[in-house]
Amino acid sequence: MSEQPLLTVTIDNITIQVPAGTSILQAARKVGGDVAPPAMCYYSKLEGSGGKCRTCLVEVSKGSEKDPRPMPKLVASCRTNVMDGMEVKNITSPRVTDARAGVVEFLLINHPLDCPICDQAGECHLQDLSYEHGKEGTRYEFQRRTFKQHDLGPYIQLHMTRCILCYRCVYTADQLTNKREHGILDRGDHSEIATLIEKSLENNFIGNVIDVCPVGALTDKTFRFKNRVWFLKPENAHRECPDCCGKVTLWNRGDEVFRVTARKDEWGEVESLADGSTAWICNTCRFEKKKSSDWVIEGPRKISRHSVISQGHYEGKVGTTVPTEIFSAVHGGRNPKLLMDIHSVSEVNRPEIQLSQIAGPSTGNDFTTGKD
Amino acid sequence: MVKFSENDLAKVQEIVAHYPDGKQKSALLPVLHLAQDTFGGWLSSETMDYVASLLQIEPIEVYEVATFYSMYHLKPVGKYVFEVCQTGPCMLRGCDDIIQYITQTLGIRAGETTADGLFTLKTVECLGACGYAPMMQLGKYYREHLTKEKVDAIIAECRKTAAELN
Amino acid sequence: MGMKLLLEKAHVEGIRHFEAYRREGGYRSVEKALKEMSPEAIVEEVKKSGLRGRGGAGFPAGMKWSFIAKPEGVPRHLVCNADESEPGTFKDRYLMEFLPHLLLEGLIVSSYALGSHATYIYIRGEYAWIATILETAIAEAKANGMLGNNILGSGFDCEIYVHRGAGAYICGEETALIESLEGKRGNPRIKPPFPAIQGVWMRPTVVNNVETLAAVVPIINMGGEEYAKIGVGKSTGTKLISACGNINKPGVYEIDMTISVEEFIYSDEYCGGIANGKRLKACIPGGSSVPILPANLLLKTAKGETRYMNYESLSDGGFASGSMMGSGGFIVLDEDQCIVKNTYTLARFYRHESCGQCSPCREGTGWMEKILWRLENGEGKETDIDLLWDIQRRIEGNTICPLGDAAAWPVAAAIRHFRDEFEWHVREPQEAKRRNYGLAHYADPIHVPVAG
Repeated sequence: MSEQPLLTVTIDNITIQVPAGTSILQAARKVGGDVAPPAMCYYSKLEGSGGKCRTCLVEVSKGSEKDPRPMPKLVASCRTNVMDGMEVKNITSPRVTDARAGVVEFLLINHPLDCPICDQAGECHLQDLSYEHGKEGTRYEFQRRTFKQHDLGPYIQLHMTRCILCYRCVYTADQLTNKREHGILDRGDHSEIATLIEKSLENNFIGNVIDVCPVGALTDKTFRFKNRVWFLKPENAHRECPDCCGKVTLWNRGDEVFRVTARKDEWGEVESLADGSTAWICNTCRFEKKKSSDWVIEGPRKISRHSVISQGHYEGKVGTTVPTEIFSAVHGGRNPKLLMDIHSVSEVNRPEIQLSQIAGPSTGNDFTTGKD
Repeated sequence: MVKFSENDLAKVQEIVAHYPDGKQKSALLPVLHLAQDTFGGWLSSETMDYVASLLQIEPIEVYEVATFYSMYHLKPVGKYVFEVCQTGPCMLRGCDDIIQYITQTLGIRAGETTADGLFTLKTVECLGACGYAPMMQLGKYYREHLTKEKVDAIIAECRKTAAELN
Repeated sequence: MGMKLLLEKAHVEGIRHFEAYRREGGYRSVEKALKEMSPEAIVEEVKKSGLRGRGGAGFPAGMKWSFIAKPEGVPRHLVCNADESEPGTFKDRYLMEFLPHLLLEGLIVSSYALGSHATYIYIRGEYAWIATILETAIAEAKANGMLGNNILGSGFDCEIYVHRGAGAYICGEETALIESLEGKRGNPRIKPPFPAIQGVWMRPTVVNNVETLAAVVPIINMGGEEYAKIGVGKSTGTKLISACGNINKPGVYEIDMTISVEEFIYSDEYCGGIANGKRLKACIPGGSSVPILPANLLLKTAKGETRYMNYESLSDGGFASGSMMGSGGFIVLDEDQCIVKNTYTLARFYRHESCGQCSPCREGTGWMEKILWRLENGEGKETDIDLLWDIQRRIEGNTICPLGDAAAWPVAAAIRHFRDEFEWHVREPQEAKRRNYGLAHYADPIHVPVAG
């Protein structure tokens, strides 16, 4: 293969060289850290994905060496290729952070925010996105949309209300299986993923839609409500599988295997194998092999120390010591009253007095009524 | 059982021939129109599966398309579907009164069908007849410059045609 | 009388059919083009004419044609965009209904120029009877040797097919139209690649509006330079305007882009004034997507100059005080109309028509509709107005296709120019249910600051 010319691109004032045909997002991931824009729909292993969620918008302040004009609109970094001499602003652009906060808000207005009962919580990209780029609180005051429930069979649980229509599962079903039976129905804000007739998705690789789903729309039914991901300890393991690579992550509690997933890289995507192919796993490995004895354990999986998943495992790392004495320590040995029942310490906020019933500015008399 | 007549199958073949070899999926929209007109004015999943087999595509590809476009009815509709435009320019010319009048006269709300299965009322978005507002689509044609009297006349006309057909 | 290049013969008896059309001088441009001109020479003429796309964006047509890739052995296609769905716009329908052969004539010449042997007319599904009219016209043209193999002995083969859509405004966007023509959902594609490189079936494709392609006929007949002399500045030739709303004579008018907006609204030759003796309150001059203007800014620019019916003058002042020519859908609102309600119906339209791919448009259009409904029904809050502004601001420019912008602009312009009417709805909800805000100050002369 002949040597490809390298293009120079500057992202958030960091200059790197990448081969021609690299997208801005891929270039930014090479830099890593906060410079890499978040991606909710783009998935480097799925052809045609990206461009839809608009979370990866960046500002191109200089088009290229040849044509230095800035691009007038923010562009989707996942689907825009690097030009030689291009200058890109991601977190250094107020326009980008503003637009991204807007996208987060849009994605959340119809999202149920049922994280406390959602199996995806803890490894949800929408949670991460909201935490990093969103604003607290919402300005949306209307009913959130709901859908008719669809049963996708014994393995996959669909919660359409949580879906952000990234289309990843559609590409997965299309590109990993030999028959197209999964798609998007309807239009606009009532679009949904489902097969029209309630047909289970029967294909040995269809389980991978669970791994690509950025939210809790498609989850593992065999793991449903069984445990929280942060209580589980991920381990790399493998087995001789006639259908797939057999390289997986086991999620254990004690010796019990709670679920099996593909191995994911730091961007949340299924890892590549040594030969460059993607380590998708088959349904048998994912759903049927739930005993430790089915697997050859390779050892604990490295998890980013900031991830909620790393909390509670691995002695001596983050999150193992409970900060019990912090309050009294910072308050000079005093336990603040704020942690107590308000009624036991306050004469004013008595439970039998309805504050909302008091007309106009309240006076001390309002609170003494009924008191002897 | 859903099946096109020989005549309709020839029409399908003619439509498919408009597109390059191997691109028969392009014929999906026109063939769905034909299927809807032929099989009772709406598309059942059986009809859609049949169209998929005719065009040698997967059923989901038909469902995706049929649910995207607003002209395909996915539930049974009345014999006569009043599709009254309610977008800006029609609103300026009083389409709300027309919709209200039809609702009263037929005793159905938008999206509903009369008990005798004759009429369905639908409110739709801009049909491109803004200069002739208020208007509605009835079958293949537009009925424009609607007034209450015209609506009465149209309803009477539909009832008459239906009676004659029976 | 204004000059008519397209609609002059629209009411000649039998003009819908080949015989009468030919007798009236039709298909001359096909003879001229195929016998005397090379494809390159036609593209050159269209470039010289300064013809701008009539679908809404106003992109120079000749330039668009020159972008088409010509890889060896790959067929190219011309697709006529007849998916006219922009509220306020019904000019293409009129042209196709009355002069189907004019469109075919333009299509044959343009197909020859672009090397398209299979040309498609993508017509909106609701125009079912017009599809039949076009199919009849195609059969007639073919029977008379204007279509098919070896047209007029030139060696050029061309077929034209009518493809009916099925109800989706988004398919007027060229890449969504291409997807729909391929039998898929009308989800716009991400550009690049542009259709001129990879369009329908990944082949080089040009998509042009009906009126644009019809305008190729007079351009070839009279020559590009002559055509460019009509009109003013970069607004060359004639433009079809479809006028609707509260005017005496709604309909399709051909104008030469030198008349003033005031003349267009009030002269008997065109709209014939506001209906029922009412006063003009506001106008959306280029189809529902373009900014609405109050009467005072419509008739005169912010500089106090007369506003004319052409691309430059209508957009004078940018979005702060101007609007756009757009698709030529001229929607007039009289003093009895409610801006909030009008904006609400447009927001509902865009929510209904959003394809649902991009999150800002999918979620934002529905949110705007809900807030506008609340405002219109007396349940709005003062903060809703700023919230609406913020939502539209975050949709605009952040989506794959221009539908996001199209949904944002009407809301933005309504708030920009009619904020006090919105506030009145919030402050006097009961009153707002009983009556409309009325003309208020929207027709008052604008204060023009003196230069220097």
